[in-house]
Amino acid sequence: MNSTFISRRKFIKLVALSSGSLLLLPRCSNSFNPAWRFFTAEEASLVDAIVEQIIPTDEWMGAKDAGVTNFIDKQLVTHLSRFQNKYREGLYSLAITCQELYHKKFHELPWDDQTEFLKKIENGSHNELTSIHGRYEGGRIWNGGDDRSFFRLIRDHTMAGFYGSPRHGGNRKYVSYRMIGLNYPVIQGRNKHV
Amino acid sequence: MNLSDKQKKIIGELFFAFLVTIIILGSFFGYWNSAPADQTCASCHEIVGSVHTFANSAHQELSCKECHGTALSNGLHSMKEKSMMVVNHFRGANTEDIRMNEYQVLEVMNNCKRCHGSEYAKWESGGHSATYERIFLDSVHNSKEQLNYDCLRCHGMFFEGTIEELVKPVSMDGPWKLTDKKRSEMHTIPCMACHMIHTDGYTMSELLTEDHYSDSARFFPTHSPGLSFYDRAEKANYPVELMSTIKLYGADTLLTVSSDGVTRNCVQCHSPNAWHEAGTSDDRIPRGVHKGLSCAACHEPHSNYERNSCATCHPAISNCNLDVTQMNTTYADKNSPNNIHFVSCTDCH
Repeated sequence: MNSTFISRRKFIKLVALSSGSLLLLPRCSNSFNPAWRFFTAEEASLVDAIVEQIIPTDEWMGAKDAGVTNFIDKQLVTHLSRFQNKYREGLYSLAITCQELYHKKFHELPWDDQTEFLKKIENGSHNELTSIHGRYEGGRIWNGGDDRSFFRLIRDHTMAGFYGSPRHGGNRKYVSYRMIGLNYPVIQGRNKHV
Repeated sequence: MNLSDKQKKIIGELFFAFLVTIIILGSFFGYWNSAPADQTCASCHEIVGSVHTFANSAHQELSCKECHGTALSNGLHSMKEKSMMVVNHFRGANTEDIRMNEYQVLEVMNNCKRCHGSEYAKWESGGHSATYERIFLDSVHNSKEQLNYDCLRCHGMFFEGTIEELVKPVSMDGPWKLTDKKRSEMHTIPCMACHMIHTDGYTMSELLTEDHYSDSARFFPTHSPGLSFYDRAEKANYPVELMSTIKLYGADTLLTVSSDGVTRNCVQCHSPNAWHEAGTSDDRIPRGVHKGLSCAACHEPHSNYERNSCATCHPAISNCNLDVTQMNTTYADKNSPNNIHFVSCTDCH
């Protein structure tokens, strides 16, 4: 047989292989992380714990269950992408600081210790935190009072995620609207201009 | 025509390539339309949430294509749309909020009809199947009240534009015309105005199992699991489970209102003014002798037909020997001053 043509047997084999390989296409999804867009799993656990401290669960679900971490994560790859570095460095610094001070991860701390720790971050308690400056990644830990500004940043975003519209990724099941008794969806008939 | 060996070879190779392409695409198409969603649609993280919600829904036994069709159902448009989703995915554009446009919402109704033919026919016979022409070109209404953005909250809620882009002129002086004539026969209140498909719910086979019997009486939900109000601002359905019962005021008194899910949903559009004063605007919440009744007590949910409703509660001749269907109310005569929704004992006595 002429070497420029493939045999029928080889042709069938190739077609079968080509078609069969298409079955592997869905496996491409494994290259994506379906859970988070920007955060790593570790960062997401940390953010979950921080936002839950800011808006804790009571008779209404707190920020964690309301999907605030999802909101921040979603916004960080879209409208708030300019804050990506601040989050990456802030969460890294917070994790390192917590490990240095308590020898535990933040989300493993007892509730009251978490509160106490965040109060220090909020107040920018440099005296204690500066002792670990320079020991990690060229002194990237809380440079120039970044602890306070990072707390403000994540607090503001927590509020936005919890009280904003669910279409942005937070406020799951309209929890904040229901919590504050908002008349939502607004019930009003027509003839409003009469 | 005599072809050279080289030409024969090129034609042969082209035919071979064409054959291979057809076989590959055919295999892929067949696979995509028969494999479980987890291996197909849900491979895209933009869609996975929606698929997982669907897996707990009343329609969970259906495959995606039953409602959404295949990549070829809508011809080139579908292929272009789905190709753009892939392109946007790799461009990093936000493709998470994938929603159907109005034409697709109306198209899906044909799929609803396949299984819910009775409900569809009732809906079609009632007021909620009104078309754009019927709603927005009503000269009697338009000359009394100016069309405005809020009309679209309850009619044409899936229209992706402003009232100015829908009707011209937006004033109380006609004649009024739809900017797109093709829209005139389109329905303004489709199934998905009140029904959410991707939501938790029981299948009919689940409802008919032992678990749903309670004290020898069958327990059925009082309304369909996806009952909800399409919130145009959010582009999402707001489920009745999250809606609070309206606080309705008569003078300074808080009136008794049914907390039934159907009523909570109806009130979203058949609503009083912003101060929730009874009898204002489109309020139809029962009070007077019928206070506390659910809308569903008298109205068939899809057609809104109500002519059999009196007999549901009143005997043919009531205890005081009166035929309630012939009493002086709007049930007997639309021009009666005694609205059946609000009539009280003192209106007649």
